[in-house]
Amino acid sequence: MSTAALEEPWATSSDRGAVAPVRQRMSRDDLTMRIVLLLLTGWLVITVLLPLGALLIKSFEGADGSFVGLSNFALFFANPSLTQSISNSLTIAIVSTIICVLLSFVFAYGLMRTCMPGRGIFRLISQVPLLAPSLLPAISLVYLFGNQGFAKSVMFGYSIYGPIGIVIGEVFWTFPHALIIMVTALSISDARLYEAASALKASPWRTFWTVTIPGARYGLISATFVVFTLVVTDFGVPKVIGGQYNVLATDIYKQVIGQQNFRMGAVVGLLLLLPAVFSFAIDQWVQRKQSAAMSSRAVAYEPKPDFVVDTAFLVICGLIATAILVVIFTALFASLATLWPYNLTPSFKNYDFDNMDGGGWQSFYNSLRVASLTAVFGTAIVFAGAYLMEKTRGFGAGRFVFQFLALLPLAVPGIVLGLGYIFFFNSTANPFNFIYGTTTILVVCTIAHFYSVAHLTAVTALKQIDQEIEVVSSSLRVPFYRTFFLVTLPVSLPAVLDIAMYLFVNALTTVSAVVFIYSSQTTLASIAVLNMDDAGDVAPAAAMAMTIFLAATFVRVVYTVLVRGVLGRTQAWRRR
Amino acid sequence: MNQPSEIADRDGPYLKIRNVTKRFGDFVALQDVNLDIRRGEFISFLGPSGCGKTTLLRAISGLDVQSAGSIEQDGRDISNLPVNQRDFGIVFQSYALFPNLKIKDNVGYGLVSAGKSRTEIKSRVAELLTMVGLADQAEKYPSQLSGGQQQRVSLARALALSPGLLLLDEPLSALDARVRARLRGEIRELQQRLGITTVMVTHDQEEALTMSDRIVVMSKGKIEQIGTPDEVYRSPASPFVADFIGRMNFIPGTLVSGTSADCKGAVLSFTTALTYVQGTPITICLRPEDIVVRDIASSSNAVDVEVGVMEFMGNHFATTLHVSGTHLNVSADLSMNDVRDLSIRPGSKVKAGLPADRLRVFSTT
Repeated sequence: MSTAALEEPWATSSDRGAVAPVRQRMSRDDLTMRIVLLLLTGWLVITVLLPLGALLIKSFEGADGSFVGLSNFALFFANPSLTQSISNSLTIAIVSTIICVLLSFVFAYGLMRTCMPGRGIFRLISQVPLLAPSLLPAISLVYLFGNQGFAKSVMFGYSIYGPIGIVIGEVFWTFPHALIIMVTALSISDARLYEAASALKASPWRTFWTVTIPGARYGLISATFVVFTLVVTDFGVPKVIGGQYNVLATDIYKQVIGQQNFRMGAVVGLLLLLPAVFSFAIDQWVQRKQSAAMSSRAVAYEPKPDFVVDTAFLVICGLIATAILVVIFTALFASLATLWPYNLTPSFKNYDFDNMDGGGWQSFYNSLRVASLTAVFGTAIVFAGAYLMEKTRGFGAGRFVFQFLALLPLAVPGIVLGLGYIFFFNSTANPFNFIYGTTTILVVCTIAHFYSVAHLTAVTALKQIDQEIEVVSSSLRVPFYRTFFLVTLPVSLPAVLDIAMYLFVNALTTVSAVVFIYSSQTTLASIAVLNMDDAGDVAPAAAMAMTIFLAATFVRVVYTVLVRGVLGRTQAWRRR
Repeated sequence: MNQPSEIADRDGPYLKIRNVTKRFGDFVALQDVNLDIRRGEFISFLGPSGCGKTTLLRAISGLDVQSAGSIEQDGRDISNLPVNQRDFGIVFQSYALFPNLKIKDNVGYGLVSAGKSRTEIKSRVAELLTMVGLADQAEKYPSQLSGGQQQRVSLARALALSPGLLLLDEPLSALDARVRARLRGEIRELQQRLGITTVMVTHDQEEALTMSDRIVVMSKGKIEQIGTPDEVYRSPASPFVADFIGRMNFIPGTLVSGTSADCKGAVLSFTTALTYVQGTPITICLRPEDIVVRDIASSSNAVDVEVGVMEFMGNHFATTLHVSGTHLNVSADLSMNDVRDLSIRPGSKVKAGLPADRLRVFSTT
């Protein structure tokens, strides 16, 4: 045979045992990437992991700082008023979750599966609650159904202060979060299944239960757990409208701010971590399942006009949208009225923050500053981290640790993180103690608080870029950072801007984490709302909440216009 | 045609792969692979998915280094070098063009980092784009080009730094049939003009047969056969190669003598003598197009057959022939002329020859 004549060496291999394993030498790129990734891992360890560790340690400490085992937990469970909070929290969370998931499913169904008119407007309105702190709906509810509320009569003697108010407020605040998940779940449906069902003469009702619901089941599960966690860990709404009805989140606040009982605060914080961690685990499981649900060959479902269905959904979605707008406008009118409900003459008296408690207009400027810094530095850190995690060659363990730390904040309620920050950064033994009480710690904490969603956005964007461009660059001996700045970053610009916007708006509206770590020099607008409401200045609180809302809306609109312009110019290559 | 055995090995093989093994956990993706590639040669790694061809390419490029074994390029041991210290250009199935850079900037990407002056880059880019026939597309973005054009840009970019080795990872698989056939010829022509040593990974036998100087057929992490396209096609070294490249009849039988076997009642003789004892089970491989129905030579196994199913394939008929008086059925490709001249139709009885020198015999044990 001619192959033999070519004297191929493949027939002569006997020294198999002698060969040593090959280890690839690191290039300068590999080394740089690993070092930077390690630095960012260190950043997450300091800003996420260690504060949580400090919280954990605190819960096992006695008053003198000695280890007391589980005695703090024993103390907690022996206190009936505290354990009552557990069942209160669960009741509120379960009821709110059921209502919110149902409403958001119906609303999402109207958006995605019907031809009702005004879907664009409805979608826009549905996202409005994201632009306000969770305190705003609670304040509006006080004006609507409170002791002097103009719609108090519809309460039939029941008080809005308590579980009813909390549930309504939480549903309002969590609605957009659930809706986003539902819209995604309903958008991935295969039209061919509906065609098959109709060819088999299944009734619309049967089709709904055998095709639509199973298709959206992961969305339903995911939304359920997300809403449940948000409600259990939110303290803005119950703080304002809860009255005597205590929940876990307000307990932490009372224990820490009110009674300076840090150890009990840590115990409650750990309890709050449980539903969040559980929900996080469920969500990870759902994500894995859902990614396989849509095959690339599926045909997108296109709804057909149906007068009865479209009208029905127009009515329902119209009611939900109206409710959202009523809540927002109530806060607006209340803040503009001279003295609600007696003197409705419009005035800006309530916006005269400098003559009130809560830090005045300075707190609003502080908020803008913190939000801007969070957006700029947060985006840089998040995107760099996601990039290095995705692109560093080898170094599996390091990348895994980073991924874990980047997703960890998703399972940590803001209020728990904030508490951890007190314990960790307030300790004089901590070399980073100097940032305590500064704007820096607010920015650092806010970045950590919202890290995971931003990280996932960046990872998704990076995964959409051809994985082989780095290989090509490497083979052309181009250093990685050149390709990063010349190709990866420009191509990912839309996602980068989205991340910046997400961080900005959340930094502006969040209360939970920062409430424990602001100082008198660094009060924030959202905290001013809380403090003014606490002091009985409800109208100024509404005014400050509206200021935040308007600022967030303004930035959002400017962003949309700007993005359109910038992307139009820099993304010309996307057009064919 | 290029006869690889006539290319003088000036100073030994250009690429020397020795005992290369790659493990992913317990899975052995490459097992003790040895291969020499000569300077200027076009080599294809051919095999089904999971055969290790891509793993071998990734070891050569340094994207995934081998677990053990060594690779030498041009006399230099590159076994443990990182990607950017090796000397190769690479083209991927996905093109992997920088989507936000113009064609000229894609091609000039590596030149900028190499510290070339602006005028040098400009003239080199123009030269490369002319070479791949895209001189007029320099100012466009990749998405404005067709798939075939994008792949040519990718090729120009890979060649920009005049690398010693060109790696092609399924370069034509994303293109439609017509473009693929044209680009096949273009790449081969360019490769020969530049004389650049080239390794291509492909699962498409037609691609491998038409473009390569030699083909490396792989299966389950091992090399099954190395040879010119002609050798691999005509003299497959194993039933696997025979099955993978082209279509093939596999006829089971038992040895009657050193040069003949009983196959389901038909005694077929062949030219390569086997040393096995009588009664050894064997498999005879015969390509459908090697079966003849006229001008049957005396050295052919002439048999009476009955024509079964006939499938019209455009330029020939794919038929099933039943050898009369036996249980043997074989597939045969009959030319349009044969079918017309002999008026063959399903059910026809004709004489067929199974040429003894075209039968490849493998022991089944």
